[in-house]
Amino acid sequence: MESGRPIFIPVILGTTRKGRMSEHVANFMAREIVKQENVGTEVVDIRNIPFPTDDAGESIKHAGFSETAMKADAFVIVAPEYNHGYPGLLKHALDTNLKEYIHKAVGICGVSAGPFGGTRVIENLLPVMRELGLVAIFWDVNFSAVQKAFDENGKLLDEAYVKRAEKFIKELVWMAKVLRYGRENVEI
Amino acid sequence: MTKKRLSCPRCGAEMNNHAEKISYEEVAGGYKPDPVFGGVVEEIHTCPGCGNVESRTAG
Ligand SMILES: [Zn+2]
Repeated sequence: MESGRPIFIPVILGTTRKGRMSEHVANFMAREIVKQENVGTEVVDIRNIPFPTDDAGESIKHAGFSETAMKADAFVIVAPEYNHGYPGLLKHALDTNLKEYIHKAVGICGVSAGPFGGTRVIENLLPVMRELGLVAIFWDVNFSAVQKAFDENGKLLDEAYVKRAEKFIKELVWMAKVLRYGRENVEI
Repeated sequence: MTKKRLSCPRCGAEMNNHAEKISYEEVAGGYKPDPVFGGVVEEIHTCPGCGNVESRTAG
């Protein structure tokens, strides 16, 4: 049994750095998500959210970001790997919500210039996802040598990512539907 | 004992309490901690009508 509202899966572009290749990844994932029936998305660029840095957590909530998180049934996080870790500003942004995430699905796209496709940033993010109440899927998309995967305009150069993204998104949508049913109908 | 369900402030539908989570920040903010868990137990409620999410302190 599914409710009629479309499934909404925002893509969080998790870096603010100049020259970020993750922007191409986020836009690509958004294009792939809307290929699914009755599924909507938008790219949330944390560069555009003016979070203060002299405080943290829910005390610096941004109304627009929190509303987007509230509406979401699942999230795609595009996380570049910086020195084997996640971008500090991504964590800073994620920490501003809590109730908006609980019992919602999340899938992580790791991005790296090297050969490992952000596997270490994904592993580092998983305990954070758990503490935020998010439910991580077991598919990732690993964008290794990302500078070769897209041209400077964001055109995909390696079509293999289309199939990889599709598997990831199908699992994420399934989890999003199941968790929505649970959030709305199954009492603790 | 069944607790009173929340009404969604956005659409009026009856919300579903699907999660509880311990918050330690709220203790720092002056809330009395639960003696068993050491933090404040927050209930999470979701509206089946519009998807709105609300939280309230359990008690
Ligand atoms: Zn509602």
